[in-house]
Amino acid sequence: MSRRGPLGFALYSLFAWSIVALVAFPLLWMVVTSLKPQNELFRRPPTILPQIVTFEHYVKLILETPFPIYFRNSVILAIGTSFAVIVVATLGAHSLARFAYPGRRFLAQLVLFTYLLPSVVLIIPLYMLMVWLGIANTLFSLMLAYTSFALPFALWLLRSFMASIPDDLEHAALVDGASRMEAFFDVILPQALPGIISTSLFTFILAWNEYLYALVLLNRDAWRPLTTGVINMLTSAFNIEWSLLMAASVMMSVPLIVVFAFLQKHLTQGFGAGGVKG
Amino acid sequence: MTSPLDRRNHLLGAMLIAPTILIFCAVIVYPLVSALYLSLFRIATPTLTGAWVGFSNYTELLGSGIFWRGLRANLVWTAGTLVLQIVFGVLAALMLHQNMLFRSLARALILFPYFISTVVAVLVWRWLFNDLYGILNHLLLLAGLIDMPVDWLGSMPNAMISLVLVGAWKYFPFVVIAVLARLQTIPETLYEAASIDGAGPLARFWDVTLPQLRSVLVIVILLRAIWDFKEFDLIFLLTGGGPIDSTQTLPLLVYQEAFSMQDMGRASAVAVLMMAVMLVFMTAYFRSYGRQEES
Repeated sequence: MSRRGPLGFALYSLFAWSIVALVAFPLLWMVVTSLKPQNELFRRPPTILPQIVTFEHYVKLILETPFPIYFRNSVILAIGTSFAVIVVATLGAHSLARFAYPGRRFLAQLVLFTYLLPSVVLIIPLYMLMVWLGIANTLFSLMLAYTSFALPFALWLLRSFMASIPDDLEHAALVDGASRMEAFFDVILPQALPGIISTSLFTFILAWNEYLYALVLLNRDAWRPLTTGVINMLTSAFNIEWSLLMAASVMMSVPLIVVFAFLQKHLTQGFGAGGVKG
Repeated sequence: MTSPLDRRNHLLGAMLIAPTILIFCAVIVYPLVSALYLSLFRIATPTLTGAWVGFSNYTELLGSGIFWRGLRANLVWTAGTLVLQIVFGVLAALMLHQNMLFRSLARALILFPYFISTVVAVLVWRWLFNDLYGILNHLLLLAGLIDMPVDWLGSMPNAMISLVLVGAWKYFPFVVIAVLARLQTIPETLYEAASIDGAGPLARFWDVTLPQLRSVLVIVILLRAIWDFKEFDLIFLLTGGGPIDSTQTLPLLVYQEAFSMQDMGRASAVAVLMMAVMLVFMTAYFRSYGRQEES
């Protein structure tokens, strides 16, 4: 837009960055708190930067709390869910994007509808179903429940990735004598791979952050994922150790930061799913 | 759109979508229908046994204050947090659209609250809100804005205001993403033409930017309204519906009826009523989305 001189640029950057700092402050404060010794938290006035930097809370978290177990459960849950969902959704999205059959349009709308559906409506029948099947309180039941939101999301995202692959590529393969399935594996799949990878990462995030299903469907401590596990550490504690909880918060955000770095390019499509035309 | 080739192979297409349909039926369609059916029973949560009561769950709920108080809290929360999300989201998107130092890093940092788990967001904010050692009270006291530490979560209307603020902080990045993506597609020539006509920065915003953002804003507002309305995690973890039941929105009421009051039938009835309210937003969303797809 309007051209600015170097001074204008510097002043504007300063202004914009102070807003960014304000938004990022709570997360910055989380990291700072996790590095302070417990007694420094109660200092008046509070120290902005830790006077003594300590990693004792991280050590304690790993050695003396069930945090590593929760972490392992979350990893199994998030990877299991994304893997299962991606396989099913890739086939489904291919079908929605490149085949014609009665009810296809209706199906696409159904996907969008379920993407908006509140979990609390599904959770009671799902809970009763899991109890009836005898699989309540297992990670498997949670994975199954997670597909109720992860599958519509993945389908919706993958459909837009798949639809952007030009028809000509598949046609050329078919003219060369490949069957539809051969064309899918040799032509479509390699083309869609970046989309498939980023969709699976987004699904991973959804599963990693989920709370409500885990709260209702799992009440054995040994199988809790991080979300309900860490909250359990908060509510069952005799006196709340904030620096320990902040350390736990940092640790459970680390995998997300790694994923975030990989996703930079597709952030708009994934996060804006439903709001931005993919 | 579809080539003759596509039509010939519709059987394969159906086979590829079959696993999806199967899972959809098991984890979405069945529970949805089941919720409608269960709402006509009284079901004890511990034993999962119950008796047919017809529509009495509905008549009881609609006749008692608890449902209407929940709906009211739900609408206050949704409207409050939605307005802040949209206003801050659009402003932040405009800000990040301009040239600045380390712009991509700034964009990444702004997106972060949306990215992290609600559990983490709530833990961090509960620590910020802490009445004795929280930094928020300390800074406000220091600035002379308050003379006594504020009880952010334990009294009304503070609890609702805190919720609305944290909700806005957590979810405004969604608006930023959508608006930023749209801003990048507005042709520069429109601004140049407006400048030649003598339009200042404000006039350019009203006459060029805002009309261009209209379609994406409609979709984003509806989508966020739906998602905010059904929000459970943030409210449950931050206030738990309290103090008493003043922030107990409908999703929390469902949980409360099912697992504290131990009646899955009544909980299902609340869920169904909640869906009925949401259908208004959903229909509007479908209409707008369909229109966008066509254009």
